[in-house]
Formats: sequence, structure tokens, C-alpha cells
Amino acid sequence: MRRSTIIVMAAVFGLFILSWILRSTSLASVQEHYLIGGLKVTFSAFLTLAILSFLYKDNPFYKFAEHLFVGISAAFWMSMGFWTTIVGNLIPRLSRSLSEFFQVPYQPGSYNFVYFIPVILGIMLLMRLSSKYGWFARWPLAFIVGTFAGLNFVRYLRSDFVEQVSATFVPLLVGWQGVGHFVSNFSLSASGQFVAIVGNWVIFLGVICGIIYFFFSKEHKGAFGAASRVGIWILMITFGASFGYTVMGRISLLVGRITFLFRDWLNLIS
Amino acid sequence: MKHKSLVILLFIFCAFTLSAAQEDAAPVDTVQVDSILPPAPVSMLTAKDGENDHGHSITLRWELSADDGAGQNSVLSYEIFRWVPFFMDTLQSIQDSLEQTEAYIAELRTFLPRAEKRLKEYRKRKKPKLVIVIFVDSTQFYEDTIAASKRLLPEYEEQLKQLRQWRKQAIDEIPQAHTSYPEQGEWRKVGTALSGQANFKDVGVKERKSHDYMADHTDYYYRVDAVTADPAIRASSEIVGPVQSYGQLFNTGRIPVFVAVLVFCLLTILFVTRARRGAELYVRPLAGIEAVDDAIGRATEMGKPILYVLGLGTAADIGTIASFTILGRVAKRVAEYQTKLIVPCYDPIVMTVAQETVKAAYLDAGRPDDYYEDIVYFVTQSQFAYVAAVNGTMLRELPATNMYMGVFFAESLILAETGALAGSIQIAGTDQVAQLPFFIVACDYTLIGEELYAASAYLGREPILLGSLKAQDYAKAAVIILAALGLLAASLDWTAFINLFSVTS
Amino acid sequence: MLDTAFSIPLVALSDIGRVISLLVIGGGLLWILIRSLRAKEVDRRIVFLFIFIAVAAPILFPITFQERATLIVKRVFDKVESSPAGSKVLLAFDFDPAMAPEVQPMADAFSRHCLEKGHKVIFMTLWATGQALLTQSLERVVRGEYPDKLDGVDYINLGFKAGNENVLNIIVTDFRMMFPTDVNGVPLDSTSIFDDVKSCKDLDLIIAIGGGKPGVKEWVLYIGDRVNVPMAAGVAAVVAPQLYPYYPKQLLGLLGGVKGAAEYESELVKWYPHLKERGTPGLRMMGPQTLAHMVVMAFIVIGNISYFISRRRERIQ
Repeated sequence: MRRSTIIVMAAVFGLFILSWILRSTSLASVQEHYLIGGLKVTFSAFLTLAILSFLYKDNPFYKFAEHLFVGISAAFWMSMGFWTTIVGNLIPRLSRSLSEFFQVPYQPGSYNFVYFIPVILGIMLLMRLSSKYGWFARWPLAFIVGTFAGLNFVRYLRSDFVEQVSATFVPLLVGWQGVGHFVSNFSLSASGQFVAIVGNWVIFLGVICGIIYFFFSKEHKGAFGAASRVGIWILMITFGASFGYTVMGRISLLVGRITFLFRDWLNLIS
Repeated sequence: MKHKSLVILLFIFCAFTLSAAQEDAAPVDTVQVDSILPPAPVSMLTAKDGENDHGHSITLRWELSADDGAGQNSVLSYEIFRWVPFFMDTLQSIQDSLEQTEAYIAELRTFLPRAEKRLKEYRKRKKPKLVIVIFVDSTQFYEDTIAASKRLLPEYEEQLKQLRQWRKQAIDEIPQAHTSYPEQGEWRKVGTALSGQANFKDVGVKERKSHDYMADHTDYYYRVDAVTADPAIRASSEIVGPVQSYGQLFNTGRIPVFVAVLVFCLLTILFVTRARRGAELYVRPLAGIEAVDDAIGRATEMGKPILYVLGLGTAADIGTIASFTILGRVAKRVAEYQTKLIVPCYDPIVMTVAQETVKAAYLDAGRPDDYYEDIVYFVTQSQFAYVAAVNGTMLRELPATNMYMGVFFAESLILAETGALAGSIQIAGTDQVAQLPFFIVACDYTLIGEELYAASAYLGREPILLGSLKAQDYAKAAVIILAALGLLAASLDWTAFINLFSVTS
Repeated sequence: MLDTAFSIPLVALSDIGRVISLLVIGGGLLWILIRSLRAKEVDRRIVFLFIFIAVAAPILFPITFQERATLIVKRVFDKVESSPAGSKVLLAFDFDPAMAPEVQPMADAFSRHCLEKGHKVIFMTLWATGQALLTQSLERVVRGEYPDKLDGVDYINLGFKAGNENVLNIIVTDFRMMFPTDVNGVPLDSTSIFDDVKSCKDLDLIIAIGGGKPGVKEWVLYIGDRVNVPMAAGVAAVVAPQLYPYYPKQLLGLLGGVKGAAEYESELVKWYPHLKERGTPGLRMMGPQTLAHMVVMAFIVIGNISYFISRRRERIQ
């Protein structure tokens, strides 16, 4: 390890300890376990800054935070999976004594024996780890893929197809009472007739041209190609709006983190 | 036979007791309020079986009282009454006894093992301690209690068995009991509707053991009272009934969905069959896929690996399934060119399928020995931990080509940015609309939405994939035609056409 | 008089801070524009620094803006406001700490509004990491601000159940099969809030708050469209665009990101002014949000100017 790296790491460690002491001191009058409280805030701030340091360049602090996150999340989800799925959902329906052992309420039922089927399928899935009996895992995988496809087929057709087609039935001329009425009541307000008409036209043309872009059975030439190009324009405008929304989302997260650093760690704001 | 007569005897006893002790269903106030006159009752009261359900519900409709929002304007609410035979109270008491007995048994079953364990501990203590001398009766207490519990438990279990049998018989007798209208029962309130409301659905449950069980094929009688501010001043409607509930086999409110399912299935079967028979099904070329071969060649020339990210979807997600086909094609090329392939996975099941896919691809390419398990590996099932690890891989391994095919969420831009930083050529494809802008901006080629599925059909050339793609295209054509017709219908007020697409339940 | 002659006019430190930060950002953007016009590269770390200043400065020296609820947010507000007291409202906290800065303000606003109106609120989550956030919200908002509300009577916490959208598949017909008890182990049958609630069909309003999977889309597919219960959503900004197709037919309204939260809070504070002192984090976040957006827009404009100028230069050469 280079000397400069060691100096930087020592400096960061020193700052960490100093921050912990200062934070704990400020929490002493407010919290009972102020040392732990101070350590939590300082460590959170340290990890936040370590991840953000990646913006400068890759460094040992980022690597430490990354590996810590990966390790803890793997352990967290394994533990969560066991306690919420197996202990939370399966054991209360399988066995009274096991429910008592894990201190979860037993859920009696006439058809509880059915729950042994997912147990068997789960064990078959784990047999993937064996090179000789790994083929057992294909059956539960097929069950998972088939069940989800079957369950979702009708739902998606209803919510994302029939309902959406129905929502596209919009009148092109909203509240039309003649050209005179339209001109005399012309306004650019969001609830006005003009905006409603333009909105409906955009919805209709956008849907048609967007669908034409995703038509794979015909080459995009001539009028079809022109409609397809309008479609891709509509898509790109949509993606731009979506991108803007996402930038807003990311900035919000940054605001949240910086608020934490300034308020909870550095105590600069109330 | 013996149990049936017992049930009937019990019923007669309860009926006699209850009829002597019953209260009037409608409370009577002795104070006369001269200022409010009795309102007009509701009219045209009808009761029908609830539509498009599994039974166990009756829908009531009526014409509002003349004094609801008009006339005296005195009606505040409507109370719905159903005629209930006294027999239902017998069933209720059997249910209550059964539940109580089940609770006792559960308590005893919980208590016994703990008590036996405690007794064992007391008996094991060798040194005489003050606590044992003082509480020497505890041992005796536990012994006595355990003995009593062991004696009571089989009695309660026998009682439970008996009660369950009675309950089953009583439930079977419900339709018969309802035929004793109007003598052997009384009117009971089952719901309230606010003023202005002209309908009510009396819904029960289908579980026979539930307190709210409402039997099908049973005669029910209803009446609706218009109630004023003074609950004593009310007007009852005519009694309507008998009406029976029953389940429907077909939900007519979902006919549009049924038609869509049928049409789509038929189209898919038709085109898959045609593809299987060798018909040439045209798919237009996709820029992103044509770039895959060039990208793999670039990686081989540079001697750098190819990173293939399957995304954060599960094995059941369509985007992930399409990605497996593309991975198979990429892995085959990679095996032929003997380039290194890195496939970090988010989901353990996806990892198993990806391993199978890559192994099969290496076998197809005639290089089974070049395959090793670490090509496809599991990272973590935490979103940002996964992307942190993949970023690390990108910056350490510096792949020449990055492919992101599948289901992505918030981590998409982080991946694409880091890949651009590492100097890789990037080809992405996702059906997640929210992530497409990032891939379009940061990657060299992007397969937008359905192009990912088309790519898997284009590359795989499997009849099922090609047939499905064709069926989807025809469905899209249908949508275009329907949208145009719907536009006309909305503009010209053809509500009949618009209502064809309305899904009600 | 001597005191008055020598007294220094008091100008708020925050005003000075705002002016300085705006000057720094404005000056910096001008410098970047000049560098770009001279075809000189701007290190990406400068861009990161600008974003940091644009976000940090309004946090330290608060800038707030007036917000007005748009129709898509107002419809949600109006629904909660016009529902009669005692309506059964389900709030699904389907998010994790990564999304919390965006959606927690709207989750708190929904909770406050429902409790102010006297609705019966059922809290639940489909995310394992959402359970801790739900508990914190209950402690801070429900028990902290409405101590008179009773658990099991005015609100109930069902907690988390593993199974993702399969949980929705079950509670659409029977709540008790998936949640026999609440998070404290109290059987649902012994709570008055679940007296006349057997399934989601018996609810008056469902508000799904989240931004991932399972999330609002699953609520619409599995519950909303199946049982025709009014449904509203509050989501992270990144998923809001893909939920717009569901508005207004399948979703009666949608709150997208911090902007949506700020609009809802502004409407809430307008109708219930006493809630202003309990904090409006959404409105507070719009200051740094707006400034950061303006900086991003400036970068896009500068980047495009630089791009077209360099293209013209290449053509000339």
C-alpha cells in the first residue's frame, strides 16, 4: 500500500473518531445511549461519503462500503426470506409444534396439507446444487413460470389491453358547438376546450403511430415509415419527459442524503 | 338418526326459550313525536340473486320513498331486514360452543408440554433448597393439574367431535328451516342504506363454518324500512320473497376480456402452427441485434471480456425470458471466438437458468470444455448492492462490450454510466419504460420495449417465438382499427360500441 | 440617538446565503459556458460539484415556492376530503429507505389527512424493508400527533407479509387468510375496524405508495380493476410516467415524486392550517429541487450550444 494511501486512511479514521466524539457529546443530553447513537450517525455519514467518493474516482473507501453493502444485504435477505416466508407463511400452516417453537400463531385449516407441495417443490429447486440430480429443479421452475404466466395473462389483458383500448376512445372535438363558439371561448388554460382537443389529438395520434413503430411484420417504408417516424418522435418525447421525472427523483434522493448530512450529522440545520 | 332427533329436540327447546325471551326487532320509543309524521314507504322493492358472483348474495333495489329528498324530506336512512328462522340461533350457539371447546383444547395442548417440562425440572433438583421446601406444593400442583388436563383433554376432543357433527347437520338443515316462514322466525336488520340510495347488496360468505355463512338455494324474505330522525317513526315496505341465491358459472361482466383472450389465443395458435409448418414469417431487421456480432468481434480483437447483465427480473418475467435467448446466441458466438464471458446474476433462479443456457450454448459451439461454472455467478438480491458489485467488475475487468438485456430498475443509469466510463461498447434492451431513456442516452444501441422480445424471436427463430410475435402484430393491427372506430364512436356518441369494451366486475 | 446612529441594520443570514449561493452558481455556469464556447473540456467532477452546491445551498439557506395542486393530485385530495368520516382507507407503504426521501412526505401527508377526517386507516406493506418505515411513520405521525386515536379502532397496522403480488391475490377475497392477526398479534376479528371488512371489496379507498415491484401497477392489476374500489397512488418520480396510462380510468389520481408530495401538502395546509407547524418536508424539498433542475437545464443548454459549435467548427475545417 502506498504511503499517501496510508496517510489518507489514517486521516479519515481520525476524522471518523473525532466526528463520533463530537456527535455523541451533542446527543448526550438528548439520548440515553448517546455513544451508540453517535456511532450510528457517524457511521451512516461515513458510508454515505464513501459511496459518493466514487464520483471523484474509485478508492478503497468506496470498495469497503460496496463490499459491506453487498455482504450485509445478502445476509439480510437470507434472514428475511427465512423469517418472513418460511416462518411467516409456511410453518403456521404446517405444524402446530413448529409454530409454537417459532412463536408464531398456528393457522389451522382443512387444506393445510396442500402446503407440503411448495415444500417439496422448494427442495427440488435446491437440488440444482447437485450435478447429478440438478434436473429435478426444472419441474418447479416450469411450475413457477407457467403459474405466473397463467395468473398474469388474463389480468394484463384486462388492465393493460382492454381497459387501455377503451381509454383511447376519446372524441376529437371536445364539447364542440361550432367554430364561432370555439373562437369566442378560446383560452390556453388547462381546463379549456382548446387544450382538451389538442390533448385528445395527441393521445390518438401518439397511440396509433407508436403502435406502428412496434409493428415488426412490415418494413417501415412509405406512409407506414412516415407514421413509424412520428411514432419514434412521440416515444422520444415521452422518454425525455420520463428522463426529466427521473432526474427529479434522483435529485430528491440527493436532497434527502444531504439533509441527513447537514441535519443529523453536522447539526447545521434544525 | 339418533343425532338428528337430538338436533330437532335442541331446536324446539331453543325456539321455545327464544320465543319467550325475544325482543322486538324494531325498537319502540314510548315518547310520541307529534312533529314527524311517518314517511312514505319505499316502493317497487325487488330482490334478486347477486349477479356475476359465486352465490351467497342477494341484491335489493327499490324506488326511493316519496319523502326522501322531497315531500316531508324526513327520510334519513333505510334499514334492510331479512327474515331469519330461530333455528339460526341454535346453529349460532353450536358454533359458539364449538369455538369455545376448540379454544380449551388449544390451551390444554399448549399448557401440557410446558407443565411437564416444568415438572421435570422440579424433580431433577437434587440439593434441597429453601425454594423447594417452600414451594414443595408446586410439584404436587403440577402433578394434579397435569393429571386433570390429561383426563379432560379426551373428553373435550370427544365433545368437539360431537359438536362438529351437529354443526354439519345443522348447516344442512338451513334451507329446510327457512321454509317455516313466517311463524318460526323474526325479522332482523342486515344492513343500512343512506337516504338517496336505492339499492343494497346483502352479502354472506361461502365458508359453511363461518358465522356469516349465507346458504345458497334457500328462500329469503326481505323488507326495507324508511327511517326518520326518530328511529321509532318509520315505514315498512312490502315483503319481497322468496328469493334464492346461487353462483353463476360465467361472469358476464368480463365478456370483453374473454373475447380478447380467445382472439389472442387463436391468433397465437394459428401463427405458431404456421411457423412450425415451415412458413416464412418476416421480422424486420433490428439495429441493436445486428450490432451484437460486431460487438463480440470487437471484444475478441481487443482480448477483453464481454459482460452480459440479465437484469433484476425473475425467471418468470418476459424480459428475462427474452434475455435468455439472446444470452444463448451471445454465448455461442463467444464460445466460437473463445472470448471471456462474465454473467453476474441478481436472482438465484435466473442464475440456474442462465447457467443451463450458457452451458448448452458452449456445447452447441463444440466447446464444452471451455465452459466453467464461474462464467455465470450469483451476486446479491439487493438492488444497489448488485449494481455496486457489477460496477466494480466493470472497472476491474474493463470489458470491451456490455450487454444489458432484461428487466432493469433504478440502477440502469448507474450501470450504463459506469460502462461508458470503462470505455465499453454498450447494447441495451429492456421493457421497463422508465429505464429506456437512460439506456438510449448512455448506450450505443437500444432495443426499446417489445424490440427485446422481437430480438429473441429474430435470433432464436423458434416457431413459438415467431408465431407469438406475429399474433402480437395482428393484435396491434386490431387495436389500431378499434382505436379509429372508438374515436368515431366517441365523437358521434355511439355508446353501444363504447360499452362493448366496458368491464364491470 | 447614538444607539440608532451606530446600529447595524439586521439582514437575515439566510438571505445573504441565498444571494451568495445564487451568485456562485450563476458565475460558475457562466464560466462553464465560456469554456465550452472555447471548445475546452469541462471535467465531469465540476458538474457533480455544481449539482452539490445547487442542492446544498437551498438546504442551508431555505428557498421555498408556492405550490398549487394540479388536477391529478387534487382528485386524490378531494376524494379523501369528501369521503364521509369513518370510511375505510387502506394505505400501502410499498417502499424502502432508498425511496423514502421522495415518498415518505406523501405517506405522512396521507396519514395526517385521513386521521384528520376521521377515516379508519389500515396500514400494510408488501416490502420487507417497508415495515420499519411504516413503524416509524406510525410512531411519528399517528401516535405522536394523534394520541387519541386507538389501535384497532381508528387505525390498524397489518405489517408485512411475504409473497409480493400473491398477497394481493388473496386479500382481494379474504383479508384474514393472509393476515389472521395484526402486527402485534391481535386477531383481526377482535378489532372493530375489521368488523365489516372481509376483503378489499369492503374498502372505500386504497392508496398505494411506492415505486417498485410489487407496487402500484400490481395493486391496479390485482385489486383495483378486479373489485372496482377507488384507487389512488403516490409514487417515486421514476415510475410515475408509466402509471399515467391508468389515469383517470383505473387510478383516480397520482402523486408523482416530491412535486406531487409538495402539491398535496400545499392543499392540505390550505384546508388544515394547523398542520403547517407539523412540517411540510415536500414543500421544503422543492427549493433545492428547483435550483438543481435549473442547473441541469443550464447544463443541457450549454452542452447543446457546445455540441453545435464544435460541429460547425469541424465542418469549417
